[in-house]
Amino acid sequence: MALDIDRYHAVVSLVNQWDPRIKIAALGVLIFAIALVKTLPVAVVAFALAVFLIWLTALPFHFVSHGLSFVLIFLVPFFIIMPLSYPGESAFTILGVGFAWEGFRLAALIFLKAISIVMVTYSIFGSSRFDVSMFALQKLKCPKVVVQMLLFTYRYTFVFLDEMKRMHTSMSARGFVPRTNMRTMNVFGHFVGTLLIRSFERTDRVYKAMLSKGYQGDLHVLVTFESRPSDFIKAGIAILIAVTLVAIDLSGNFNQAVIGWY
Amino acid sequence: MHISEGILNPPIWLTGYAATAVIAGLTMRKLDMEEVPKISVITAVFFIASLIKIPLGPASIHLILNGLVGIVLGKRAFAAIMLGIILQAIIFGHGGITVIGINTLMLGGGALVAYFVWQQRYRFNIKRREFVFGAIAGAIGTVTSGTILASVLMLTGEEFTTIAETVLIAHIPIMLIEAAVVGASAEFLQKTKPEVLAGNKSTVST
Repeated sequence: MALDIDRYHAVVSLVNQWDPRIKIAALGVLIFAIALVKTLPVAVVAFALAVFLIWLTALPFHFVSHGLSFVLIFLVPFFIIMPLSYPGESAFTILGVGFAWEGFRLAALIFLKAISIVMVTYSIFGSSRFDVSMFALQKLKCPKVVVQMLLFTYRYTFVFLDEMKRMHTSMSARGFVPRTNMRTMNVFGHFVGTLLIRSFERTDRVYKAMLSKGYQGDLHVLVTFESRPSDFIKAGIAILIAVTLVAIDLSGNFNQAVIGWY
Repeated sequence: MHISEGILNPPIWLTGYAATAVIAGLTMRKLDMEEVPKISVITAVFFIASLIKIPLGPASIHLILNGLVGIVLGKRAFAAIMLGIILQAIIFGHGGITVIGINTLMLGGGALVAYFVWQQRYRFNIKRREFVFGAIAGAIGTVTSGTILASVLMLTGEEFTTIAETVLIAHIPIMLIEAAVVGASAEFLQKTKPEVLAGNKSTVST
């Protein structure tokens, strides 16, 4: 599982050299614009733009596609359920169940928007070191406490993941095979409890060490942000694209889903 | 369990953001500096424990554990779940940026209800109290979240009715497994390190 989203942060690209503060703000606007799209042709354009953005970010294809595969698993059932359950007229019937193109279109719309937004997210957070992204968020007036907790959590996630793997190995070594029964539930309950306590005690020690080194709740980083004119030009282009997408979408030149979608 | 990007319409996810902001603001009032690492730890554990797969016949399901977060962190559980959801959206693209509000409301709401149930345990004098109340809290946390999820889908449009029904039915086995796992966890924590549990009156249990 690719937990380290910033694995390729050092790859030099147009997006990588963008001031993280302005990058998050501008591409954030783009994300919300894509979320507002409700016609299929505009969603296709948004998808193409997202692919282009990934290319600009120079992230390896396998890295992004691995991330997208988790989203796909969730979205594919929509292509089956939506056309078959869409109220109203159906084009033809499969095994006695009506197949509605309207439902298929809705599924395609959901699919394209979701994939596009995830790709933009990858472009934002895959192109800077995670702590730099978080520090940029703090500069964008995200509450300090939230940013600190995100950083702590991100760090702990890897530590505890290793802990969990070790515990899992020792369970397997003792011959534990998970089955659908009460015993398995009980074992997993204790597993989670143990993981919690171990993590807790470890963090307690780390926290005391931090306190003794003078930690007072402030983050001191060696990162300084500097925005150049080119950063604002990139932001201008991104926001212009976002506004154009929504404007074309609202112009009414394309069909919108008939029922329920607004 | 989460709503993916692109399904909900803006009025709903904007409402989700607003409601989450209000509840997070209320539940994070008077936050002590010392609580920051504790909340982060639980968030991280919650985050990776959701990777655990439990076999269910031929398939397997993932643990949700929002009920456990509720009984460990109390009202701070909401913030912890919000962080978990933000990280999932950023790192996995699980859920998504626009649905952070709705997803937090769904899982965090379940955690708060679970905490409320858990707090009632001293009113009853029964055997294996922590197991019973942990199990009920785990089940209710899941049910609350499932109900919120289904309602949100129904609100989005009538074409989502079938999916909403499917979601509710799918939550029955998840609820049972969550109940068993959270119950066992709560009992284990009570025996081993009771101060981890939220609102624990008894200092020594053994």
